[in-house]
Amino acid sequence: MAGLELLSEQGFRIDGRKPSELRRIRCKLGVFNQADGSAYIEQGNTKVLAAVYGPHEIRGSRSKILHDRVLVNCQYSMATFSTGERKRRPRGDRKSKEMTMHLQQTFNAAILTNLHPRSQIDIFVEVLQSDGGNYCASVNAATLALIDAGIPMKDYVCACAASYVSDTPIVDINYLEESSGGAELIVATLPKSEQIVFLEQNSRLHEDNLGPVLDLAVKGCKDIHAVLDQAVKDHVAEATAGSSIE
Amino acid sequence: MEKKSFKARYNEEDRYYDNKGYSSVDYNYTGPFLPDVNKMAAPMICVPGQRLCPDNEKVTAGRGTYSRNGFVYSSLAGYLQTAHSEDGKNIIEVIRDGDENVVPSVDAIVTARITNVSPRFCKCSIIKVGKTDLKDSFRGMIRREDVRATEKDKVEMAKSFRPGDIVMARVISLGDSQSYLLSTAENELGVVIATSEAGVTMVPVSWCKMKCPKTRLEEHRKVAKVQARFIEYSGSGP
Repeated sequence: MAGLELLSEQGFRIDGRKPSELRRIRCKLGVFNQADGSAYIEQGNTKVLAAVYGPHEIRGSRSKILHDRVLVNCQYSMATFSTGERKRRPRGDRKSKEMTMHLQQTFNAAILTNLHPRSQIDIFVEVLQSDGGNYCASVNAATLALIDAGIPMKDYVCACAASYVSDTPIVDINYLEESSGGAELIVATLPKSEQIVFLEQNSRLHEDNLGPVLDLAVKGCKDIHAVLDQAVKDHVAEATAGSSIE
Repeated sequence: MEKKSFKARYNEEDRYYDNKGYSSVDYNYTGPFLPDVNKMAAPMICVPGQRLCPDNEKVTAGRGTYSRNGFVYSSLAGYLQTAHSEDGKNIIEVIRDGDENVVPSVDAIVTARITNVSPRFCKCSIIKVGKTDLKDSFRGMIRREDVRATEKDKVEMAKSFRPGDIVMARVISLGDSQSYLLSTAENELGVVIATSEAGVTMVPVSWCKMKCPKTRLEEHRKVAKVQARFIEYSGSGP
């Protein structure tokens, strides 16, 4: 590991967190006027903006139309200044396309897609600063944006990553922990019904350790849910209070 | 209304949720249904995935909710509203502030602006579904045989609609992939607002003619007989 101690002898991680501690989450709903719904989220140093448009008539190729449910169209992009080394293209590379597909699968499972047949919902996600857990922050931001847009969903979708370092599972891993070559488990859940809608694992993890790591990631999702839930309730209360004054 | 009262209210609910596994509207419906939810000073805030109540024969899951595994859940972030339907059921809804997302559905009354008239059909853009304005228009099409109910073969499109007319129509099918299929084959449906060649809003004189108040010229239209009853129903009169 070339002198890099991911977990100190005292049991703290590089950024001073405990193994089961999340990074600080700050979020805000309704950051754009133009979009039907939008949200901004910060998970530590990972900062993501999401905007949702729709449901509206299918744009572009009409062959994409789905007669029984809505088409969920996602676009994931990373700002050129989001990473340590400047990115050449913000979207369209293989990694972004894969991420786009994953987001699409995730939200197809959570949105009540049969309510708006023959329409389209656009989810645009922009990573402004990347410090690990891009997928997780994107999912969390997009969830908030969808709620802001009033698109019917089964539940929140909360995503969280976890890893396994020196016999300890660690949650919500940052860029250093992500790139150290250890195993990475990314999970997106519907926290109230405890269903997993997306699961991805990078590099190898011993079978015996999968359980604890997965449990920790799911626990992380629930913790994130608590934070997002509070933000949404504050937002709705504010909107309701504002409108009931008349 | 203060923000604090909301906060106090939903913190209370959360505690309830933790203790009993579901939220405070969770009655078994033996007594009066949700006695004062609508009268309460602070409306109850719901979030997606929140369990509202058991799904039994006394309850209907309305807008903003869905039922799964014998319970009604919220699918939106908004506040709870209950109403009584005619058959004695309680309708549970989650209402959102601001505009809703609607898409035209079969049998809905829509308001559309004619964009293009050809001998066989005319195209229009749907700007309103029922009472709700659409943020984004949907494409619609009225075929020649759907303009009126009688003498369908004698319909002339150019004598029924002109580009720019505002038309009330019913969605008869979701149509092909291009556009919704609309029909004006009812007395109450057809042109409600039209401007004459002189650029003045015309007044209807019969079911098939409108008159320009400035030039006194009559133009052919498939005119809607707008009725109060009907306006109330569709919520979108002229």
